[in-house]
Parts: sequence; C-alpha cells; structure tokens
Amino acid sequence: MSNYTTTVGIEVHVELKTKTKIFSSSKNDYANMANTHVNVIDLGYPGTLPTLNKEVIRKAIMASYILNCDINKKMHFDRKNYFYPDLPKGYQITQARTPIGTDGYVEIEIDGKKKKIGIHDIHIEEDTCKSIHYNNSSLLDFNRSGVPLIEIVTKPDISSSKEAILYLEKLRELLLYADISDCKIEEGSMRCDVNVSVSKTSKLGTKIEVKNIGSISNVKLAIDSEEKRQIALLEQGNTLKEETRRFDEKTSSTILMRVKETGNDYRYFPEADIPYLCLDQEYIDEVIKEIPMLSSKRRELYLKAGISEINVNKILQNRAISDYLNRYLDKNINLVIASNLLLGDIASYLNKMNVTIDETHFNMDKFIKVVNMLDNKDLSSKVFKEILVDLFETDNDINDLLVKHGIVEIKVDDLKKIIKNIIDNNTANVLEYKNGNDRIFKYFIGQVMKETKGSADPILVNQLLLEELNK
Amino acid sequence: MSNYLELSITEINKLLKNKEIKPIDLVLEAIERIEKNSDLNAFITLDKENAIERAKELENKEVDNLLFGIPIAVKDNIVTKDLRTTCASHMLENFVPIYNATVVEKILDKNMIIIGKCNMDEFAMGSTSRTSYFGAPLNPWNKTKIAGGSSGGSASCVSARLVPLALGSDTGGSIRQPSSYCGIVGMKPTYGRVSRYGLIAFASSLDQIGPMTGCVYDNALLLNAISGHDDNDLTSSYKEVEDYTRLIGKDIKDMKIAVPNFFMSDIVDQEIKNKVENIIELLKNNGASVDYIDINYIENAVTLYQIIAMGEASSNLARFDGVRYGYSCSNPKNIDDLYKRTRQEGFGNEVKRRIMVGSYLLSGKNATTYYNKALQIRDDITKSFKEAFTKYDLIIGPNTTTVAYGINENLDNPLQTFLDDVLVIPVNMAGLPGMNVPIGFNKDNLPIGLQIIGNSFEEAKMYQLASFIEKELNLDLRPKEVK
Repeated sequence: MSNYTTTVGIEVHVELKTKTKIFSSSKNDYANMANTHVNVIDLGYPGTLPTLNKEVIRKAIMASYILNCDINKKMHFDRKNYFYPDLPKGYQITQARTPIGTDGYVEIEIDGKKKKIGIHDIHIEEDTCKSIHYNNSSLLDFNRSGVPLIEIVTKPDISSSKEAILYLEKLRELLLYADISDCKIEEGSMRCDVNVSVSKTSKLGTKIEVKNIGSISNVKLAIDSEEKRQIALLEQGNTLKEETRRFDEKTSSTILMRVKETGNDYRYFPEADIPYLCLDQEYIDEVIKEIPMLSSKRRELYLKAGISEINVNKILQNRAISDYLNRYLDKNINLVIASNLLLGDIASYLNKMNVTIDETHFNMDKFIKVVNMLDNKDLSSKVFKEILVDLFETDNDINDLLVKHGIVEIKVDDLKKIIKNIIDNNTANVLEYKNGNDRIFKYFIGQVMKETKGSADPILVNQLLLEELNK
Repeated sequence: MSNYLELSITEINKLLKNKEIKPIDLVLEAIERIEKNSDLNAFITLDKENAIERAKELENKEVDNLLFGIPIAVKDNIVTKDLRTTCASHMLENFVPIYNATVVEKILDKNMIIIGKCNMDEFAMGSTSRTSYFGAPLNPWNKTKIAGGSSGGSASCVSARLVPLALGSDTGGSIRQPSSYCGIVGMKPTYGRVSRYGLIAFASSLDQIGPMTGCVYDNALLLNAISGHDDNDLTSSYKEVEDYTRLIGKDIKDMKIAVPNFFMSDIVDQEIKNKVENIIELLKNNGASVDYIDINYIENAVTLYQIIAMGEASSNLARFDGVRYGYSCSNPKNIDDLYKRTRQEGFGNEVKRRIMVGSYLLSGKNATTYYNKALQIRDDITKSFKEAFTKYDLIIGPNTTTVAYGINENLDNPLQTFLDDVLVIPVNMAGLPGMNVPIGFNKDNLPIGLQIIGNSFEEAKMYQLASFIEKELNLDLRPKEVK
C-alpha cells in the first residue's frame, strides 16, 4: 500500500468582500432575508446587461499579488453555458481564457521544511443563486446571484491531506488579512473542491473530484478516505473512472454524484457585453500599495516588540485584535502590556458584552494612558480590573476614576514610607523573620495591604518589603 | 381624417408650438391610421389608452424640443415598462417588463409618445418578419409583398405614415433591409453609439438600435435623442454626441466615395444596379469622386455572421427556461422536462434552428474551428474597411440584391433569408454605421434603396450625403395603397 503516491489539487471559491455585486448595483449581502438584494440584472431579465464592479478587480489584483501570481494586463470575461435553475441567464460569466492571475504559489511549512504549492490560476466569476430545497420543491434565493467570487486553482502539487490543510490555512490567513474575503467556510464564503488521485508510477492516476466540502477538517477526512478507497479499488484490480463525488459528514466518506463522460462541454466563448479590460502598471501598483498589512509582516513586528510567540499567535488568530493593536505601532507605548490587556481583560469584557472596542468609551487616548501607567507602575493590574467597567462605560478620566473608587494609587515612595513605618513599629516580628520564620513575611504583606486599602501592587509590595527586611 | 403625420417633424413642431394642434391630435390620427390599416399587421401591441393619457398630460407642458409630442412606435424587442414586450414570440407572449430600456427613457425624456410595439421576426431572427408568432407584417407598397425584417413592423408603419418615427434594431441588416423594401430612411448607428440596455439580446456583439423615419432630417433628430454613453451598457461609447443634423444641406463637392466591386456584382438585380449607377452619376456631376474598390473577405461576411450571431444567440436565449418569466410549459415532470418542453413549445422553428446551430458551433473543438476563426476574419474585414476610410469619406452601394418579394416566396429555404442580407451584414461585422435612403422604384413600383456606409461615429457625414440625394430625387414616398 505504501508504494502509492497521492496527488491533490484544490479549487477554492472565495466570495469577495465588496459593497455591491459584481455585475449589478445590488448589495453584496446574502445573509439577509431571501430575495431582498435583487434587481433585474441579478434575475437575468431580458435586455439587461452587466456592469463591472471596480472593487472586484481591485480585490482580485490584490489576491493575485499576495499569491505571487503574474497579473494579466489585458483580459476579458467568458461565458460558461449550462442549464441549471440557480443560473438565471443560462450562463455564468467567468474568466476561462484570460484569468487575472496565473502561475503563482503559496508557501507552507511542513515538518520544518518549506514547500511551495503552485497556483495554476486565479479567475474572477459570479456566484449563482442559492437553492433551498423545501418539502417537494426548490426555492431560489437571488441574494447570492452575482456575488463576486475568485476561484483559486492549485497545480497538482499537494501530496497529502496534511499539506492540503496547511495550504488552506495559509491561504485563508492571507486572504483574510488582505481583506479580500471573510473566508467563512461554514457560511459558504469559502468553498473547497479537491481533486484526488493515487498512482504507483510517476504518471498521475485517475482524477476524482470531491465537491463542496464544508470545513477544513472535512477536507482532510475527504482526502484520507478517497486515498484509502482508491488504493483499495486498484489493489482489487479495478480501473478508476473520472468521477465527481461529494463528502458525507456522517460516514466521513465520499459518495458518487456522477461519472464524467466525455468532459463537460460548457461552450465557452468571450462575453461580448463586457469589453476587454486593460490594466496599466500604474493602477496595479496603486492597488498593491493599498493591501492591508499581511500576517507575516505583523508577526515580524510583534515579535520585534517583544510580544511572546504564544501571544503573537493568539493575536493573529483574531484579525480585529491585530488591527486594533496596529493602531499603536507608531504610538511609542509598551506593546507587550498593550497586547496582554487586549488578549486578557479587554477581550473578556468585549466578548461578554458582545461589542467592539470602538463601540465603547474606551478610546485610544485612554488606552495609551492606561498602558503607560501600567508600564510606569503607576497603576496595578488589580486596580485596572476594578475600574475596567467604568473605563468602557463612562467618559470619566482615569485619575477621576481612581479617586471615585477610593483607590488612588500609592506612589512607590509613599509605599516605601509605609513599609518602613510598619517594620519600625514591629521590631519583634522583624527579629523572628530574620531568625528564619518565613510565615512572618505574609503578616507584613497583610499589614501593608491593610494600610494601603489594597491599592498597592502586591508584586511591588513583595519586592519592596524584601528589600527593606533584608537591609 | 387629418394628415399631420405626413408632415416632417419640423413642420409638426411648428404647428404644436403655434398651438394650432395638440399632441392629442397626432395621437388620435395615428390610432385612426393604425386601426384603418390593421391589415398591415405592423403592430403587436397598441398602447391606445396610455398614449391618449400621455398626450393630454403634455398639453400643459411647454413644447421644449422638436420631438415633443410626436408619436413613436418601438420594435417589440425593446423593453417598455408595464407595456407588453413579446419579441414576436410565444415565449414572451404575455411578458410585461418591469423596467424601461435606456432608449425608451430617452424618448420619454423628450416627451415623445409611445403608440405601440412593432411586429418583427421572432427574436429578430429573420429578414422577412415572417417568423413572427403574430403573423408577418405587410409591405404598404404592395400588400402581397414582405416588409422585410427583422424590423418589418417598424418599416411598414413608418412607410404607411401610421407614425412618423419608429425604433428598430439591426444585427445583420434588420433596419436597413426593411427600410429599403418599404422606401423609408433607416440608420444602423456605429456599434456603441446607442445603448443596448433593454434591447432583448440576439447577438450582443452586433445588435444596435437605430431610427427609422420618413425623411433624413427626422432620422438625424431621432438619433440625436437616443445616442450617448450609458452606464448600464459597458459597450456604449463615451464619444461625445454631436448634432447629427449639422451637415445636412451642405454640398457634397469634393466628397470621396467608394463602391465595393462586390456590391455591384451579378448577385444584385439589374434594376437595382441601374438605380445605384444613376446615383453614382448624380454624385459625380455634383463634384464628388467615385471609385470602385475591394474590401477583403466581404463575400464571406454572411458565413461569419451565421457563426457569430448564432453562437451568441444560443447563449443569449438560454435564459428563457420557464423558471422566472415568460412561457412555462404545463405540468413539468422534472427540471429537464421543464426546460425541454418550455423551449420546444415556446420558441418558433427559426429560433430553434439558430439555437441548435449556434450550440453546435460553440461545442468542443468547433469553438476554435469556427467561432474563433470567424472572429479573426471579422477583424480582417474591419481592418479592410478602416483602410478604405483612410482614403474615402463614405462607401455606397445597394442595400439589397432584390426588391421586396412575395409574402409566400422562398418559404421553404431558410438559407435564402441570409442571402437577402449579403450586402448589409459586412457593416455589422465591422461595427460601422450604415443606412438606407430611398432612390426610386422598380417597374412594379417597389422601392429601391441606397446603402451608405460611414466610418465609425461619422453618421453626420452619411446624413449629409443622404439628404443631398433625397433633395435631388425629391421622390413621393407615400404608398398609394394606404388608407
């Protein structure tokens, strides 16, 4: 069995994050109530013509660039003709002959080694309606009709399900950070088809396509089960036919949809309703400049600022946190403290309240002040926790809040005085401590905390107390 | 009955401005004429009530432009909001659009009054208008003859002066050929001059809407009104709209004119050639030069047209599937049955034939063997025309090889319909403007027309020549059979 090699190619459909649809002015927002973002163009009404959303071209240029593709400067659209109820015009407008991006790659790291997964092409196309099967009839939601897509097609460079997952995760992160798509696989804004073949020789085996897999983990299961199924069939002496299958979540296996006969004939021809599109280098350069900071660059900057690798990974898993942190990159504040706050107390408050930070009163000025105070030990994290809710929910200044909570922070010098005072008035206990009774130390801490009404930073108290006792 | 509709637009406008007549007088006259001549079968739908209502609304408005209050007929493949648009097909027999074509918005902005929707070949596929689901319109010069097609209804109603103006569409001669058969002025503008938004597509890379009128000046006026870039049509040109009447009346001295040899070859009826030769003499006598030239591949244009137009049509007509609008077969067993029977029952034979041939031409390797090759040769034809226009102002020749033929002639020969268009199709291939101007009658008193071809966006120059010929010939173009 082990002398078989597996070859996988992946086609990913990604919905682009644009305000309007690709060929009409309807809103691109199909999560809303069915058939509310629909006009005559989306319905394929007789006499209508497509217009072209520039934003789609911009995002597709960005995608081509970050996936290291050559960008086609002169391109056109083609019609892919077939009948299906979810296809209102009887053809899909796509790019068959002049895809916007060609011959790129995505770099993954597998077992410590880098590997480039080749991108055959990236092309722009329109999404179809969503079919909803209800009782014995099919209903159509045209909100999705004309939603802009890019299809990213790999070369047959992937040789295991592990590589497939790494590729998809990397691809997703790239597209997400470039703001090209929200890449929600479960909601259908990123959809994967995989082509799997196995072979004992250097010649590629028969290609089996598994369509519309609903999650990255299912991609792994689909490839693994296909690999096993195909090898078993070959070992029994069968020959394989090109097929389209689907993944069945219940059984973690694939189910036959149809055998590919002579290859589908989509009667592609150039779309005459959209003239050739010529992109000049200046425009392309401008678009590339607008690509938001990618995750690799962010990682580099965060690590340089001293944020731990664990926290960097946590930040990068949540684009909103990373974007927020980036606002302070040029503000000369302690980013370690800032990231701790964002991942800790702030994140839990925002999650609990289900709001974004910009919807609260915790503005950038406050954030900078808090980070600096924590950095200068003018504020303890314990006190910060106490005033947290007020920071989010009122316009009060931090100093006012400290007074309000009766916990004006103890300055280090003041704290030192208090500690010296306690030690001076407890000579008996000091002696006992010096004779080796460690438990007395806790007594001193308790005294200091009592004196400071709990507003002192315990770590600082610990440190100063030790210094004073060991004099 | 009044005879206002036999006047030119400028004359009607004067009467309206002087308050000697009101728009309602024009509308009532048009309706009366249409109803009296209903045997012409020029209209599929008459919009009587709305036209009258609109005419009354206009009474309180200032006569602000030459086209104000003028009744117009619209070919039934141009969508009109709330007014049935059938494409002369069973498929769209009861189809009432929910939006207006851009040209319709434009003529309504000029306060024109839409009288009704004109008969045509089904989905504009044909050159006789006999493929109409509603029966063929007749030629007002001889009611046993075809009006031509596909804009046969538009040509018939203008020729009979049922309305002064109509809109047609021209994919492979569908404005010029019926205009020639019916003795009216018809212009197929440069591809991209007039928005196609709302024109139910036959062949997207060839279709163009244009004006069909009784005289040259009126034609230029209507082109002024409907031209211009449209954000809804990416193939519409940004080129500024000029006043297309601006060269009318200017002399043609020193104008350089070319006649393609192919246009005067044996395929053309001798009587027609004689008339064209008379025109050539007339032009020479008035200081123009006329040379005979060759345009490459022009004789192959019909073959290219069949490949390109049918290929595109097979895709454009895929949307008529019975799911969302139009005809839908009863009790379909499943989705495939719905598609098959809806299209089988909804489309006529010529449309089905073209969809089948077009699908075949785009299938598998055929796409490269035929379609892509056709696009290449199409480029060569365009280049050859462009080359000619570096030396000549205009190209002329006949529009048709024969005059209008019998309503029952050539019925069993589907290829004949394409051969009718052998002289008009090259213009569509090259995206150039082409027009018909009447130049006389044959021995049976059937109209003969001259085709004038211009360089892209040089419609004004074409009108200059056409109006010169119109003035010199001073033909009476009112058919006598009309009531």
